[in-house]
Amino acid sequence: MKGKMKLFVMMLLAISFVLVLSACGDDSDGETGEDGEWTGKITIWDGPRWAKEGDTSGEEGKGNQYFWLEEKIEEFEKDHPGVEIELVQVPWAEMPDKLGVNIAGQSWPDIAPVDISGSAVSIDHIDQGVIEPLNDFFTEEELGDFYENALDAYTYNDKLYGIPNSITVHSMLLNLDLFEEAGATVPENGEWTWDEFVEAAEKLTFDRDGDGEIDVYGFSTYILPGYYEAWPFFYMNGGQPLSDDLTEFTFDSPEAIEAIQALADIKLKHEAAPVSMGGADVGGTFQAWASEEQRTVAMEPWATWAISSAQTAYPTNFMVANYPTGSSGEPVTIGGVGGWTMFKQDSDAKKEVVAEFMKSISDTDEQFLMSQSYGIFPARISAAEMDPFAENPEMARAQEMSEQVVMLPRHPEWKKIDEIIQRELQLVFNGEKTAEEAMATAKPEVEALLGE
Amino acid sequence: MQLSARFKNAGESLKRTGKQMRKNYAAYLFLLPKLILFTLFIAIPVVWAFLLSFQEYQIIEANTFAGIDNYLKVFQSEAFRQALLNTTIYTVVTVPFNVITALIAASLIHSLGRFAQNFFRAAFYLPTVTSMVIIAMVWRWMYNYEFGLFNHVMGWFGMEPINWLGQTDSALWAIIIMQMLIPFGVGIILYMASMSSISDSLYEAATIDGANAFQKWLKITIPMLTPSTVYLTLLSTIGSFQVFTQIILMTGGGPGYATETLVHLIYKTGFRDFEFGLAAAQSVVLFVIIFIISVLQYKVLNRNK
Repeated sequence: MKGKMKLFVMMLLAISFVLVLSACGDDSDGETGEDGEWTGKITIWDGPRWAKEGDTSGEEGKGNQYFWLEEKIEEFEKDHPGVEIELVQVPWAEMPDKLGVNIAGQSWPDIAPVDISGSAVSIDHIDQGVIEPLNDFFTEEELGDFYENALDAYTYNDKLYGIPNSITVHSMLLNLDLFEEAGATVPENGEWTWDEFVEAAEKLTFDRDGDGEIDVYGFSTYILPGYYEAWPFFYMNGGQPLSDDLTEFTFDSPEAIEAIQALADIKLKHEAAPVSMGGADVGGTFQAWASEEQRTVAMEPWATWAISSAQTAYPTNFMVANYPTGSSGEPVTIGGVGGWTMFKQDSDAKKEVVAEFMKSISDTDEQFLMSQSYGIFPARISAAEMDPFAENPEMARAQEMSEQVVMLPRHPEWKKIDEIIQRELQLVFNGEKTAEEAMATAKPEVEALLGE
Repeated sequence: MQLSARFKNAGESLKRTGKQMRKNYAAYLFLLPKLILFTLFIAIPVVWAFLLSFQEYQIIEANTFAGIDNYLKVFQSEAFRQALLNTTIYTVVTVPFNVITALIAASLIHSLGRFAQNFFRAAFYLPTVTSMVIIAMVWRWMYNYEFGLFNHVMGWFGMEPINWLGQTDSALWAIIIMQMLIPFGVGIILYMASMSSISDSLYEAATIDGANAFQKWLKITIPMLTPSTVYLTLLSTIGSFQVFTQIILMTGGGPGYATETLVHLIYKTGFRDFEFGLAAAQSVVLFVIIFIISVLQYKVLNRNK
């Protein structure tokens, strides 16, 4: 009986415990004085960013990667006596889960560095009032300094639910040493068609030591719910997962089917990708391209972080290229926008102070600094005009791709829809289904969610 | 008259209990902190979760009563059925294998000298104290198609490599094989402890009757270990139904839904989709399934007692 009770607890405790904790989620620890000034405590979460040059402190010798925000907090506290800002350090990989648990327990921070696309915070949270709209704290002129797609990413039902501070894009990373070794043609200015891409992938697949085994493959990527490295390929002929009005599943259109199958055929037909392509091993896929001991894959698509990683932790002779163009003729990439969101506040006076701090860490100078030091593209036009990548041609090239960005559909059930599609895509890439069969299976399931 | 007699008896029984409690008040006092913690952190959340399974969870607004909607969703869900099937296959294969191999390993080790016994006991117990995260990471490398250990060894014998974690027909079995090859340390230790308590006179009598070593093992050791076998089978079944870490680290439930398991599904429903009412209903259904299986196992394995 003891064992069964333990099991019951294991299953239910995780779900219910966070709800028990909800009583602890009180953010009203502050007061408004007679002068209308709010004083009290603000909590902000952030992940590790960059350390001061030469700082090798810490267990892993990475230095203090929170110093930038710590300094901004100190400045703000000095200008706002009585306001205390607590920084909670959260590793990026733990951010979605930790935030999810805290949201469930209504013990959210005041500010967190998340977008509203669904990985940590979703449209559903906005619908339920967990995220505060910020329109009241910005003038039209101030908003005009942000890229439109950056604002779009934080806008829902005409309201702004965050301050964008960075834009990321997915781009193709090409190992130039392997291109040279294989004698493959490097795409001029990183622009190429699908046929040119296939030709390069085939040429880059070779047996280096003549033992009959392939040592280097032209291309690889992975397929996993919540990750979109492969998806720009699926858009290349003009396809998209959902119709513009979000009422129909459209990845079963001929344009999308053809593009999905074409990418899977890089492995299944052209044999220019390893068998592991389309699997769920994110780290292994990156290591195959970046790790000096491996470098068994010449081309992989990655988000912006991989560029700075290939410049620092995994020094690689590489270039940034567009995704190849299909029958639409237009290069496409999937973008992401990072920024700060404000969680539900009980006091308007506190909300104002929180917003002021959020703005202070998202102004032009801070975005410029973050772009240079942290390897992201600024969301403010004025910061981009300061040319943060004057000495970083790879990042500058990737920044050009911001114009090609398409955003993922903004649907409250997107996480579930994404899982249905990606699960089926996995079966296409391991050769168990054709793209047509897989998308035909996904269609009724997705449309059931769209109809809800 | 009969009724008043019953009341009288009940009153006396209560008095006796009260007297007994007063007599042992110190013991109850010592139990109180544990009881308070149990109530706060186990009993209340469990009851709460059960009630939650009949509600639609809202983050800020009050939850709304959903009747049996969450349970209907559970039973209509293809993902739940697939997860239940996968979890059942995983349990049906791994539990008997682990218990039987633990019994065999313990029997072999038990006959060794003291030093060897200690060595093997420690060696077999090591995986139990090793984080499943580490084990899963190592096994993911061993299953790697291009440079994993398994395909490498298979290559020596001219066998074709297998995309262990990437194909629907092999992914679940890859997870099962991994679980089968991790020694069931707790089982081995428990069996060895139980073997030590079997009276030597039974073996001596069997020797006089001409039984050989295998016959003694079969007719004396195994029956005498039945309580341990029942306990380990229940323990292992419960553990197997909760398989989670390997799944989230090695396959994420894929490819397709080939390795989706119940606890992974509950985790996603709760912490990804924020449908805590549905997740609670899934948990209650899982509890009922395991409860029934555990009772059946207990009755079947104890039938000769």
